[in-house]
Formats: sequence, structure tokens, C-alpha cells
Amino acid sequence: MHRKGDDAAMKELKVEICVCTECVMKGAMELAESVESLKKVKKHLDYEGEIYIDMEKCLGESKHGEDSPLIAVDGELIKNADSETVMEKIVEKMKAAC
Amino acid sequence: MRGIYTPVTKIRRQVFTEVAKLAYEGGDYNKVEEIPFRIIPGEVPTYRDSIFVERAIVGERIRLAIGLPLYPADQPTYISNGVEESAISEKVYDPPLVNVIPFACNRCDETAMMVTDNCRGCLAHPCVSVCPVKAISIVDGKSHIDREKCVKCGRCRDICPYHAIVKYDRPCAAACGVDAIESDHLGRAKINYDKCVSCGMCLVSCPFGAIADKSQIFQLIHAIKSGHEVIAEIAPAFVGQFGPLATPGKVKQALLELGFSKVYEVAIGADQGAVEEAHHYVHKVASGEEPFLATSCCPAWSVMAKRDFPEIAPYVSDALTPMVATARVIKKEHPDSKIVFIGPCAAKKLEASRKSVRSDVDFVITFEELMGMFVAKGIEFGEMDGDEVIDDATAAGRGYSVAGGVADAIANCVDELYPDVNIMVDRAEGLRDCAKMLKIARAGKRDGYLMEGMACPGGCIGGAGTMLAFAKASTAVREFQNVSPDKVATKSRYVEAEEE
Repeated sequence: MHRKGDDAAMKELKVEICVCTECVMKGAMELAESVESLKKVKKHLDYEGEIYIDMEKCLGESKHGEDSPLIAVDGELIKNADSETVMEKIVEKMKAAC
Repeated sequence: MRGIYTPVTKIRRQVFTEVAKLAYEGGDYNKVEEIPFRIIPGEVPTYRDSIFVERAIVGERIRLAIGLPLYPADQPTYISNGVEESAISEKVYDPPLVNVIPFACNRCDETAMMVTDNCRGCLAHPCVSVCPVKAISIVDGKSHIDREKCVKCGRCRDICPYHAIVKYDRPCAAACGVDAIESDHLGRAKINYDKCVSCGMCLVSCPFGAIADKSQIFQLIHAIKSGHEVIAEIAPAFVGQFGPLATPGKVKQALLELGFSKVYEVAIGADQGAVEEAHHYVHKVASGEEPFLATSCCPAWSVMAKRDFPEIAPYVSDALTPMVATARVIKKEHPDSKIVFIGPCAAKKLEASRKSVRSDVDFVITFEELMGMFVAKGIEFGEMDGDEVIDDATAAGRGYSVAGGVADAIANCVDELYPDVNIMVDRAEGLRDCAKMLKIARAGKRDGYLMEGMACPGGCIGGAGTMLAFAKASTAVREFQNVSPDKVATKSRYVEAEEE
């Protein structure tokens, strides 16, 4: 019996969120909350993999305030990220994985 | 709506950053007129019908952030009116603290039961049958509620098979635990200052960003620039608020970079208060001399308790609040300094101004306002390499910032100092539940209890000046508690110094 998870390895999606001062001011922590909220609706989105959130460092060059907040979903950089755009990008990557 | 970054959050934080920048740059303060054009650029409105309204609202937020009062909308004025005179090194503050910006208010209806489009005009219409005051009828095939008769019991909402009936609450009024929000003659929200305790829950709940409190960052920056010795006492809720790169040591370093000469933990005063209240509980309450003891570190709660429950007022702790106790400790070592309380709280701004207790606190700012200062000064946590350490308090004092933490700290002290005494504890979060707890106490059902009251749901980490969602903030506080080698308030070196 062929099960969905068998051929594709458990897909891991890495979301890196820049947490420099300007990005935090412009909502980086709130973006982390919205990405985490996706973990709770994985079933609705038909995704079996794991989403890892990395908030260790500054993603852009120093003082990139104009581009804040900065987020990279699976390596793809999003400038002036907002929760709708980020969640849309994550869902797009999830679908590409299956 | 903490945990969600909305345009309201964006504008509020931009105002703090721009006002901080203005103070750092100095010069001609007529420049303040340019700020709304930076925050709301272009010619096309983004948030409201008219870009001029958007800018006017930002203008009022700027005035409040500088500590100035709102200007009546029917009088000619400039934003810069009074800015020059308020560029001083002392706090500029006149009540009221929390203000509704009238032309920003959406004039939301007051609480009502409403039939939504979900109504299918069903055959059964149980809504009609359950209404105790015959307020529901079927009009044009749909359910209709007569607002004059409706008593808002909610039975129709509960019975509708389509969930087509909702209880609609005006967000600011629903958030207010003391029912202080009324309406003016134009239907706009109006705060009744006889009831308001400045907890700030309304200002974080308004989806139109129509409510704001006054800030002191403008004057604080001037005090630092003028070369005064300015010392920071930072509330235990600070951990994690500025992002994961801003560890406690880095926050201290950032404050020193901003020009504060020293940084202390407000948890020092919390440790001292916990011990004092433990003694008070055992000698007065456990002994039966007094019926109960209510904590007083939350100013919105203690004002509400003393004003609305005068019989309970004598049993609200008169121990110094952590903010004041820590300020006194600092003043003993640095008598000429100006002291700044940095915390999660709007109500502390009022407490610091109270004339009844010399608070020794010169300025109160919130974490969000401080963040504006960090951004304005270009402080970058990721680029700091220092090894500052914050190490003033025990885990007990640091726990004051989460609901239940005050009671735990006091209970642990009682267990430590009086092992034979059994302490009974009750607590409440949110002013409405706090009032319920006091009613139960007034009825005689809390004799022998310690009662902890928190005006903000979740405790101080849920305060109006916080930036971090509850779960992350709570985790961060726990981690910082675990780092302290001392678990019980009695072990604090400031407490031992006092006992001598």
C-alpha cells in the first residue's frame, strides 16, 4: 500500500526571521507567531513535514531598516514581509514538496 | 491584539521612533510638523477615507507621545504648539493619561445582540421562542431584534442553529474591566475618568487605534542629553521583549549605550516587598487580627480595590511597590540621580505621579517606547559583544511579572520563614475578575487569604506597553528566573541588608 509520506522524505521547511532591532520594531516577533500558528493547521493545509523557525541572527546587511522585516522561507528572501505574504509563501513551498 | 502586527501597531511604534529621533536631533522643534508626512507619505490614503485624517490622527499621537494634551478639533493649531516648552529634563504630565482621539474613533455601537446575514429565516425560528422579553420577531422573512426591548441575555444566540446571532461588543468597552468607557454626544468613545484606572487595556484593544496614552520619552532624552545622572530600573517583564538577540545582559548594555549611568532590576523591590508581606500575612492575617491581605504592586488593581471596595481598602498592602522600593534603594546610593522606571505598564505612569507616596521615580516609560529609543539611536543587539550581567534579584522577585508570581513569591517566603503557617491564596487577572474576587472577599468568604490582583490578563507581561505575545514572554521570564542562584526572596542581598 502506497502511503503519501513514503516516497518524499519528511520535508523540512526552514524559515529564518531576522531579529535585528529594526526588524523587531517592525513586527519580526509577531511574524514568528504567525508562522508558528501554521503548525497548528498542517492538517488543513495537507502538509506532513516540519517547519523550523530560526531567529538567531541578522539576515541582511547592517541597518537594512527600509527592507524590514526580513524573512527567508526555504532560502528565498522576502523583504518588507507581512504575515499574509509569508504564510502564502510557506504554503506554496509546502505544496511544492508533496 | 499583542502577537499580531497590525497597522495600528506600526503607526504607534513609528510615532515613538520619530519622537525619539526628534529629541535626539534637537534643533528647531517646528520640524515636528514633518513627522506625519514621513509616517503617512504620498497622496493616497492607506487606512482611512482621507489622507488628511490619517495625518491629523498621527499628529495627535505625536502630541501625546511628547506628553502634550490633545487639541480640540474645532480650534486652529499646529502640532508644534507647546513642543519647544516641553523640551525639558523634567516629566511633563497632566492628567488624563489615557485619551481617546475623538476623530479617530469609529463610533462603534455599544454592546448589542445582532442578527447577521447567516440568518436563513428558518421554519423553527427558535430565537423567537426563547426570548424572555418578546424582542424578536420575523420581519421580511428574517429574524429581527428590537434593541429597545433586548436585555442582551444571549439566549437567542445560544439557540440559533446557524449561529446567525452574535453578541457584538465595542472592543474598547469590552476590554475595560471597570466599565469606564461611555459615549459622547456624537457617539464616539469617551472615557469616564472617575472610573478609569489607566490600566491601558482599551488602548491595545481598539482596532482603529483611536486610544493612546501620554509618553515621557521626549523629556527623558533631554534629561540624558543635558548630562544629568539618569538611572534605569527595569521591570522583570522585560525579558525577551526586544527580540531573542536582546538577552538580559545585552539589554543592560543597550541601556548604558543610551546614556543611562546604571541599570537595576525592579525585582529588587519585589524581593523586599515579598518578605515584608510574608511577615504581614503571618502576624496579622494568619493570626486572625485582619481578615485578609491584598497585594498592591499593580497600581490599576490597587486603585480600583481601594476606591470601589472601601471596606477592603485598609487590608490592601501598604508595603512599598517594587517600583518605589527599588527607587529608594537607588536613591540611597545615588541621591542626585534621576530615576526612570522602564516597564510594561501604563498605570505606573500615574503611580509615579502620586503625591501621597514620594515615589522617587522621575520618569516612567514602557518597553515599546524604549524600543523607539533603541531604533532612533541605531542600537543593534546583534552587534554587541559586551558581557554585562544583570544580577540583582532572586527568582521570586523576577516572577512578579507573570500572574501568580507575586502570590508564589510571598507564599515561598512564608514557607521559608514560618514553616508551620499554612498560607491560603486566591488570585485574579483582569479587572472584572479582580472585582469578582473582592466581592467574594467582602461577603466573608476569603478570610485568612492572601489575594493577588492583576489588572492585565496574564499579569504584567500582558501589560499595555509590552511587545511580546504571552507564551514567549512567559517562557523568557521563567528562563531568567532559573538563571538566578537564589530562589526565595529571603535570599536577596538587598533583603539581608535591610534586615540588619
